Amino acid sequence: MSTLTIIFLVLVIGLAGAFLAYRYSRSLAAKDGAQLHSRPIYHASYVACWAMIPALLALMVWLVVSPIVIASDVRGSFPEGILAETSLTEDLAYGIVESLGSGLRVLPADERETITDATPVAELRELLNQRGVPIASASADWMVPLAIQLNGMQIFSRWAMTAVVVLLALGGAFWGYRNIAPRLRARNGVERVVTGALIAASSIAIMTTVGIVFSMLFETIDFFSRISPMEFFFGTEWNPRFSGAGSEGSAGSFGFIPLLAGTLYIGFVAMLIAVPIGLFAAIYMAEYADSRTRSVVKPLLEVLAGIPTIVYGFFALVTVGPFLRDLSAQISGLVTGDYTSFIQAQSVLTAGLVMAIMLIPFVSSLSDDIITSVPRSLRDGSLGLGATRSETIKRVILPAALPGIVSALLLTASRAIGETMIVVLAAGVAANLTINPFDAMTTITVKIVAQLTGDLEFNSPQTLVAFALGMTLFVITLCLNIYALYIVRKYKEQYE
Amino acid sequence: MENIQATLNRGQAVQSAKPIKMKSQDVTVHYGSKQALNGITLDIPERQVTALIGPSGCGKSTYLRCLNRMNDTIDSASVGGKITLDGEDIYDPAIDVVELRARVGMVFQKPNPFPKSIYENVAYGPKIHGLSRNKQELDEIVHTSLKKAGLYNEVKDRLDEPGTGLSGGQQQRLCIARAIAVSPEVILMDEPCSALDPIATATVEELIDELRENFTIVIVTHSMQQAARVSQITAMFHLGDLAEVGPTEKMFSNPDDKRTQDYITGRFG
Amino acid sequence: MSDTTANGLAETSARPERRDIGIKKRYAAERRFKAYGIIAIAIGLAFLVALLWSVFSKGYTAFWQTEIQVPITFSEEVLGTPEQANQSQTKLMMANYPQIAREGLAQLLDVDTSDRDAMRAVGALISDGVRIELRDMVLNDLSIIGTTQDVWLYASSELDSALKGQYDLAVPENRRPISDLQLQYIETLQEQGAIEQRFNTGLFTFGASSRAETAGVGVAIIGSLYMMLIVLALALPIGVAASIYLEEFAPKNKFTDLIEVNINNLAAVPSIVFGLLGLAVFINWFGLPRSAALVGGLVLTLMTLPTIIIATRAALRAVPPSIRWAALGVGASKTQTVFHHVLPLAAPGILTGTIIGLAQALGETAPLLLIGMVAFVADYPSTPMDPATALPVQIYMWANEAERAFVERTSGAIIILLAFLAIMNLTAIFLRRRFERRW
Repeated sequence: MSTLTIIFLVLVIGLAGAFLAYRYSRSLAAKDGAQLHSRPIYHASYVACWAMIPALLALMVWLVVSPIVIASDVRGSFPEGILAETSLTEDLAYGIVESLGSGLRVLPADERETITDATPVAELRELLNQRGVPIASASADWMVPLAIQLNGMQIFSRWAMTAVVVLLALGGAFWGYRNIAPRLRARNGVERVVTGALIAASSIAIMTTVGIVFSMLFETIDFFSRISPMEFFFGTEWNPRFSGAGSEGSAGSFGFIPLLAGTLYIGFVAMLIAVPIGLFAAIYMAEYADSRTRSVVKPLLEVLAGIPTIVYGFFALVTVGPFLRDLSAQISGLVTGDYTSFIQAQSVLTAGLVMAIMLIPFVSSLSDDIITSVPRSLRDGSLGLGATRSETIKRVILPAALPGIVSALLLTASRAIGETMIVVLAAGVAANLTINPFDAMTTITVKIVAQLTGDLEFNSPQTLVAFALGMTLFVITLCLNIYALYIVRKYKEQYE
Repeated sequence: MENIQATLNRGQAVQSAKPIKMKSQDVTVHYGSKQALNGITLDIPERQVTALIGPSGCGKSTYLRCLNRMNDTIDSASVGGKITLDGEDIYDPAIDVVELRARVGMVFQKPNPFPKSIYENVAYGPKIHGLSRNKQELDEIVHTSLKKAGLYNEVKDRLDEPGTGLSGGQQQRLCIARAIAVSPEVILMDEPCSALDPIATATVEELIDELRENFTIVIVTHSMQQAARVSQITAMFHLGDLAEVGPTEKMFSNPDDKRTQDYITGRFG
Repeated sequence: MSDTTANGLAETSARPERRDIGIKKRYAAERRFKAYGIIAIAIGLAFLVALLWSVFSKGYTAFWQTEIQVPITFSEEVLGTPEQANQSQTKLMMANYPQIAREGLAQLLDVDTSDRDAMRAVGALISDGVRIELRDMVLNDLSIIGTTQDVWLYASSELDSALKGQYDLAVPENRRPISDLQLQYIETLQEQGAIEQRFNTGLFTFGASSRAETAGVGVAIIGSLYMMLIVLALALPIGVAASIYLEEFAPKNKFTDLIEVNINNLAAVPSIVFGLLGLAVFINWFGLPRSAALVGGLVLTLMTLPTIIIATRAALRAVPPSIRWAALGVGASKTQTVFHHVLPLAAPGILTGTIIGLAQALGETAPLLLIGMVAFVADYPSTPMDPATALPVQIYMWANEAERAFVERTSGAIIILLAFLAIMNLTAIFLRRRFERRW
């Protein structure tokens, strides 16, 4: 019976129990004229909870645990020779046994009868191939009995699971139904379950962070066991040669410095353009614009924030990059007479400029929030003394809003550092270490994408380095974010 | 009533005929489509304290904000009628609002020191208006203003500390000092004591009485006792109208208008 | 109320001497400052216009595709008889359809079929996609074998681009993708009225293809749709539940503080990090298939959660406490209060936040690259477990193609993506306007 069917069965039992409970509790109220503590609908939910929650929990545990138990049992019967090999070989062998086992289930009953422990694997493979189940050529005769054993255990496990889960559901429903009485505090019980579910939902946020940290931590540690952290963090050359399978020696060099430099440089150029524009736009919007202008301009600028970054990347690739290249060619032609461009199409400037466009609405809406949360009384105080608007802004509002604006800029910087699609398309892939903004540089995010797209073998440093890069990126942005959020909090408290 | 009468009798300045500093004729204010003031005509005498009283929502603060055009900062507000300062129409397009506010300063209901040092708070006005040529002059202005506001002795050792760290009453006197530092001709005060405790209130009231020597003061208050204690002229507002105006003494002893009578005897408000 | 007489006052006071407070200079500074603001906004809007103009001017032609009407002879010689076809379709599947298309076109252009160079030029005018187009025609209706039909065939992307004026025809012949001879043929076809720009339905229905004229975003749209459904089904309930707990039930302590900081931080974690999470957890640990819409949906769910939680909490906070007191006052339990009164009142805000979150997820590319959705997927995924791609990823893949026709397709796909986003955001704005309640 498939898992979905089992879940469906449990749901049916739960609903049926709920229906019966509803009728019963109504009849209780009608018959005795007794005052029910909880309304019938809560009795129904109470029974449904009893029927479904234990059963579904059992189902989940069974689904997680049984493959592990079965696998360890089957692996225990592997021949000595295989067990002595590396864990990789063992995994491979187990994979073949598994596919043989699942192949057995595809065969019609009469053909399956003919397969015994003594059947040579070649015969089985032949049979399976006819059914369209390909079997790896590394299969061996000793695998057949194990496959049969595995298959048997899996079938048994599934039946047992079905039985246990359905019995639990029925038992739970029965137990809940038995408990129904006028004074049963069904509502409180149901509400406890609801609260539990709410808590579970809110801890998913924590789980995500934990997941992020751990998923990257293990791979990062694995990476650093192959490449020393010193070499990674202080190396100035990035050239992770993709080694052919088996050629262990040529790992390449994994110097992180050029990537960090590129990331920071592009982020810096972007901030250099975006911050003044965004800040002045925010100031104008918050302090000068009348509500009509505001209601038109603000959403328009926010459209920039809603455009996916891939679109910015494409814009950089086909419009801004070539434009800057041709422009530089014209300029150098006018100045020196030699029409060669000094800006490359993929360059720090291109990526920075386009990223700046993406960041403008980010800076402006964050700063706008901060500026408008400066209390009106401060504005009045300054205007009441005869200060002009710009004096009020420069001398009172901005100093008062400074911590908030700083944190907005930190959040923006964190965004610039983590931005991927724009730099993938506009910054180039060459890991240069240069101070010329017209040259191509590359970033951490570009390299994560480069290392993880395409065919990958999961055990090479070339792949693992992406996780080390991701971890570094995560830590950098985490520090920026937490510090920025901390400042914002302090700032908000000040004016509340 | 006894109390008020006593206050009135105890040494009101002699009512000599003072020249008119500000004059308003038929001033109306609309917030959007809602009318907040229905034609106020009122004169404010020079170097006197004029108190605006009335139940809440009667338009007295709105009127006050017209006097230095603070209503300009509210998008939906529109002001009609005519207000003059020394005979000049302050809503005339030729009049500069910044210059006007340098002449007609304002102190607000809630103390609103800038999140800067005490010194910077007071120095702010003189700095933006360029009233001092050098540091000495600026120091001089700051110290004098703080002295005039009766705050100097309390804060002279900690001028570098933030103004927000002072107590409520001190903060309000700091705001008054900040307003004085610009040497305005008129100071508008919008319920300056409403956020203060009684002792701080008494200090500020004394200060207001002293300031009368140099400045024309218009004060909005919801406390009749306060009006009686500090003002020479009282104007009673009611639902956007000016109910009655006259010498404070007369207003509290023998008001003409029934609404004023009701208000000061506590029937409403 | 009379004025002066009532106060018994004298005439207007004399005006004191005017102080110099540097008004002129200060107003100049004021104007400058204001101008900076206007310039900043103008630059921002100019960027917006440049971006949209760049995309639309390059992309609107993608919605038209050049087609050529060619008389095709479905000869039994090439295809076999219908009877043979009924027995085995092998011959039909393997038949050289491009050849019969070429011959049809040659006949139309009056080209000698034995002239190899001319035939090559003719063949290059038609898309390779005819192989599938014609095959499907025959498979659908065997009775057309042996007849001659007028069929609209996709023109090749070179012809398409040339007609749309995307090539500079002034450059020497050998430096452009279309030859003078071919241009001559095109002219002939135009005179005969056998060439037409038609609405490009293929852009919406085709999957990945190496030929621009048969590449479309159909498969990608389905992939994106699966992912949006998964995000909606998971992120909305979880996000709302989490917000209800944090806003209504949670005690103020270290743990809820931690969750709070966590959510705010997650909202600012680079999206690519979520891709790494998806790769390591969903694909490596749970063993879910690479490139599947399911994995993409799960990753996007985790990314969208903070957005939904933040929006929902704001909506819950906007419900005035008096509503809660009223419900609690008549004896409702805390849970009843929240679910009967607070949640319905907050629903418009929650919905708006969800739509905006979905729009963000729809445009997200980076994490999907890492979980293998940069795949060449030509077939529609029938379940979320099948290999799929997504609209923005499709754009990314096309952006890497050098051909001129792909630039047009990419821009067209971006227009489609932006249209989806615009619809979602407008819906959100409409909902907010329509149902927003102010207390």
